Amino acid sequence: MSAALSRLRGPNNEGMLVAVILVVVIAMSIASPAFFTAGTFFALVRSSMVPLIFALGVLLVLISGGIDVSFPAVAIFAAYTTVKLSVDGNLNPSPFLIFAIAMAIGAALGLFNGVVIARFRLPTLIVTLGTQSIFKGVLIAYIGSLYISASDLPRSVTQVSDAHLLDVTGGGYLHFLIIPVVVVALLVSAMLRWTVFGRSIYAIGGDTEAARRVGIRVVRTQVRLYVLVGALAAFGGVVYVILGRNANPQSILGTELDIIAAVVLGGASIFGGRGSVGGTVLGVVLVQLINNNLVVVGIPSTWQRAAVGVLLLAGVSAQALGAARARSRPVVVQKEVEA
Amino acid sequence: MNAFLRPLSEMNNRVGTAYSATLARIHVARGVGRMALLLAVTFTFFAILRPGIFLNHVNLTNIGIAAPEIGLLALAVMIAMLTGGIDLSVVAIANATAITVSSLYTHILTTQGAGAAGAMMPVIVLAGIAVGAVLGSVNGVLISIVGITPILATLGTMQVFNGLALVWTGGVTISGAPSALVSMGSTGLFGVPMLMLILIVAAALLAVLINRTPIGRKVQLQGANPVASRYSGISRRSTLMMAYVTSGLIAALAGLLFLSRNPSASADYGASYVLLVIVIVVLGGTNPNGGFATVLGVILATLTLQVVSSGFTALRLSAYEYAIAQGVILIGVMVLDQVKFRRRGRRSAADRLAQSPASSALTE
Repeated sequence: MSAALSRLRGPNNEGMLVAVILVVVIAMSIASPAFFTAGTFFALVRSSMVPLIFALGVLLVLISGGIDVSFPAVAIFAAYTTVKLSVDGNLNPSPFLIFAIAMAIGAALGLFNGVVIARFRLPTLIVTLGTQSIFKGVLIAYIGSLYISASDLPRSVTQVSDAHLLDVTGGGYLHFLIIPVVVVALLVSAMLRWTVFGRSIYAIGGDTEAARRVGIRVVRTQVRLYVLVGALAAFGGVVYVILGRNANPQSILGTELDIIAAVVLGGASIFGGRGSVGGTVLGVVLVQLINNNLVVVGIPSTWQRAAVGVLLLAGVSAQALGAARARSRPVVVQKEVEA
Repeated sequence: MNAFLRPLSEMNNRVGTAYSATLARIHVARGVGRMALLLAVTFTFFAILRPGIFLNHVNLTNIGIAAPEIGLLALAVMIAMLTGGIDLSVVAIANATAITVSSLYTHILTTQGAGAAGAMMPVIVLAGIAVGAVLGSVNGVLISIVGITPILATLGTMQVFNGLALVWTGGVTISGAPSALVSMGSTGLFGVPMLMLILIVAAALLAVLINRTPIGRKVQLQGANPVASRYSGISRRSTLMMAYVTSGLIAALAGLLFLSRNPSASADYGASYVLLVIVIVVLGGTNPNGGFATVLGVILATLTLQVVSSGFTALRLSAYEYAIAQGVILIGVMVLDQVKFRRRGRRSAADRLAQSPASSALTE
């Protein structure tokens, strides 16, 4: 790859992703005139919102060198419990209060994750596998297993469900919740870039021992990180409930690997220390673009999973081959242009 | 050295090696011993609490029929974990095998009749096993030649295999399985379900492969210390390739068991198995970073979780309470291990060095 090309690629392959997204969009526009409309765009935004919030949490954990598979359980646990409390208590809390309660619950569950991981230095994948199982079990066995439909949801929740930012007659609408979602993404990005906490997460993911030696309190940072990730997951869970107009304790569960795939596609390294919010947004958008629109261009929806899988394999293959090439040739400046 | 002393020193050496071999064996047995203890405790616990239901012949048979497919999937993941990797695609491979066998059988049955389908049984089953080997080698190529991290490579192939299975079946459950497979699922030998015997034979073969063959030693060393393994002249590529093809083959066997338990196949079967199987493998004493695993430990962990599951059913607890127990057992065992390890580490760091994974070896 030539120097100019590698500059365009960006630090985490963002440029490549933009190119792939453009190619997909152009191909789909050619294949179907129904694709390039405001409706498609709004649907894409709507379906990307919840995965994006989860992806931000996954991104933070990946950057710190871990893997979290418990976030769907945390999300639905926090969201369902909050809704159930308000329904049982016959309360109609304001949306802010609902978000606050859910995020407090999510933070508490995240604290549990963080303490077990950081105090005992256990592998994150194994711990979150265990806690995922526990959270899911406690939610359905002891808190509630019943589907709460739109008519039973607190009115404040359904009101938010109907809040549209932009309504195009006949062409769909842009949901109001896109604003908080974008704000959260910007906040996470700013935190990663400009705060000591954010830089510490990169440092721990890059080399835990080195981070410890420069004076970063690894245990404390990790615990805070998992608390934050728990709260983020809960936020995503509430958005999911609001957009879907129902609270089902069985939903969201099982989506963890899909979200991780999108984040990895967005350039985050599974070994930690690398990843960006920009890349993550692109990764999520690309996956949703394919999931939403294969049918529009005439490919049966059963191909979705395979298509996303091939995309993921292509992405990580390119990264792996690039890394191998960089290793075998230590000279950075290369004159010859390769395909 | 005179003629009298030589045999004495020889004997001394022999006693010395025998002694250290026994020590090594005891050390290895600790991981297995823990699981055996946990299995005995859980079994006794449920047997005392609900003897009528839990010790019932039907219940015990059910444990023996349900455990093998999970046990095989766990062994498939264990092989990958032994090399320091992981295989998330095992369930997808097993389903691909089941779908291949089921649709091939149905096709021959409708075009050539029952007689031909019965006669073609071995070919059909071999085709299913071949699917496992091919998909396993796809993993192997991606990991050993392209150089993708195992967790990502198998995350991707899991999606692709599963996605292709969805395309093939159109997302619905297809039915039909060779009658020989189905009858195998319902027979037993001396009261032991046939499926359980298959698991035992497969596990024994795998244990021999890992412990008694050069390939097994290479796989262990690759996981324990990739650098040392490279300097010992072990080919990383062929070792990893071998490991993932073996993993695919075992997963394919699990796919055949899916069919013999229930003569239908779908792309979505056992979606919750992926994570459950990882739990089992880690509980069985496998080091998630590679280099150490015991087949016996994994089998005991499989049986323990199955006993807890059916014990919970006997106590009329729900599947979700079982999920809680699963998580608590996993985290509890890991935390206990870590606490013990740290205490040992504080006592003497040299002790830890002596217990390098390669020397502590694997036992069946």
